[in-house]
Amino acid sequence: MIVAIPTLEERVSPVFDVARCVMVVELDGEREVRRQTLALHSPDPTRRVAALTEQAVNVLICGAVSRPLEALLSAAGVRVISQTCGPVEDVLRGFIAGRLSDGAFLMPGCCGGRRQCRRGGPGLRCRPGGPRRRRARRRNADGTGPKAAGA
Amino acid sequence: MKKTAAANTHQVILDSIADGVFTVDLNWRITSFNAAAERITGVKRAEAIGRHCCDVFRASCCETECALKSTRRTGRPVVSKAVYILKADGERIPISISTAVLRDERGRVIGGVETFRDLSQVEELRKELEGRYTFADIVGRSPAMQRLFELLPQVADSTSTVLIEGESGTGKELVARAIHNLSPRAKRRFVALNCGALPDTLLESELFGYKAGAFTDARRDKPGRLALAHRGTLFLDEIGDVSAAMQTRLLRVLQERVYEPLGAIEPVAVDVRIVAATHRDLDEMVRAGRFREDLYYRVNVVRLRLPPLRERREDIPLLIERFITRFNRVQNKDIVGLSDGAMAILMAHDYPGNVRELENIIEHAFVLCRAGLIEPQHLPPALQAAGKVSRRFKTGLTLREVEAIHINDALRRHRGNRAAAARELGVNASTLFRKLQKPGGAVPGASAPRARSKRPG
Repeated sequence: MIVAIPTLEERVSPVFDVARCVMVVELDGEREVRRQTLALHSPDPTRRVAALTEQAVNVLICGAVSRPLEALLSAAGVRVISQTCGPVEDVLRGFIAGRLSDGAFLMPGCCGGRRQCRRGGPGLRCRPGGPRRRRARRRNADGTGPKAAGA
Repeated sequence: MKKTAAANTHQVILDSIADGVFTVDLNWRITSFNAAAERITGVKRAEAIGRHCCDVFRASCCETECALKSTRRTGRPVVSKAVYILKADGERIPISISTAVLRDERGRVIGGVETFRDLSQVEELRKELEGRYTFADIVGRSPAMQRLFELLPQVADSTSTVLIEGESGTGKELVARAIHNLSPRAKRRFVALNCGALPDTLLESELFGYKAGAFTDARRDKPGRLALAHRGTLFLDEIGDVSAAMQTRLLRVLQERVYEPLGAIEPVAVDVRIVAATHRDLDEMVRAGRFREDLYYRVNVVRLRLPPLRERREDIPLLIERFITRFNRVQNKDIVGLSDGAMAILMAHDYPGNVRELENIIEHAFVLCRAGLIEPQHLPPALQAAGKVSRRFKTGLTLREVEAIHINDALRRHRGNRAAAARELGVNASTLFRKLQKPGGAVPGASAPRARSKRPG
């Protein structure tokens, strides 16, 4: 798996749309195989996406990202874990350990149901006032609604 | 206890401000965050306090040109810098930011303060206004263009022949297309032909077409532009450049609505609306006997005049914005606008090539400018040189001094012709005269009426 993290002074860059530097790390399970730093010169969203896909990046862990750029990334098959902040090394370790949902890595204002795009599919959006809760799938008193399990 | 009360008072004051305000310590961690900042960024105060300002603010300038860092480094405040922030849901919010350094009682720097204003509403209003200032791809807020916009739907509705007058690059074809697109003929073809670009024989075969065997190599029938424009609109550009012989043939089409393709025996009837255009003074050409009077009256049924760009300078910023938006889209760039210096140079230029020249200037700047603002060095060298000579708008000038410079420049351009200068400045001649009477209102000699000289074209 190849993971990209835009960086600014050893922290995750706050806005991917204007980030100038991205760290690309190849992981074999939990082991780091290769690491390199890429410069992102162009503000053009399509070139930013192309710079990542040229490196066969599977996952982008970033701070804020605009909707159009996020849509381009998703269309290119890059899974986006946005609204992430903190020191880059901590974030990478957190990703390997599956702890990126911890509050310490969440940008302020992010509800926790932050955007995590499925490969090529639409991501979950950060909603004002917290993540949308699924309505309980229960049968109504009058017998309407979903059937009970096994019914 | 006193300190807590003072802090509470400060918070109440900050929360009563409509602009977002936050302060940071020396480690860029947020120390206060007012209610408007919560509303604009979508981040609660409790979440923001103690966090890195860039993680909370998420502005386009955080990485490359942080205003707070710049203020702390230079000691100079940043005022109303336009940037955007990204909310947690990826929405872009345009804002303007201002910064200042915070010091303690001994004058030591203890952090910084940033205020920011949500420009979303302003942006929406700007877009709405832009809509009012555009008409079928034609852009203009000047009174002359607004009058044209009012007139175009009525002109389009009629079936009359239209004559569009205007210098090269003023957008004559754009107006012709707008007339066609607004007319009941919109579903049929709009066919354009530049009469000035072709020699007579070629123009004749292009316009009327030919039959097989009409001349050597004419193996098959070729329909002319008139046939192609049947039930549609034919735009004849540079009609003032056609020869006397061609004028006669055109007159027949306009009078009888019939034409004969080369080599044809029978005349062909055609239902076409003619929109003609010229950069020449047809009145003058008729007087000089170089344009047929009868054709002139056939063509000159509805007459529209497109003012040159130098006569509608107020449209320059609007046009620049339009070109920047278009080139950003076409070239996938993110150019924000023009610096004050570059804008001053473009506003002072006379544009002999009109809107087309302005478009080319912006395209040139797009080649040299990667992102951000277009600066004077991105403009064509000739303009840069002119800018260095004529740039007199130094900082520290009063509004009256700037006005006087602008008036004098206009008078100089029109060689002392006050009426023409007033037209260019968008004021009445009497207003201009009144301004010239005021002390410091004019440079002696510049306002003196002189012999009028005719501008070519």
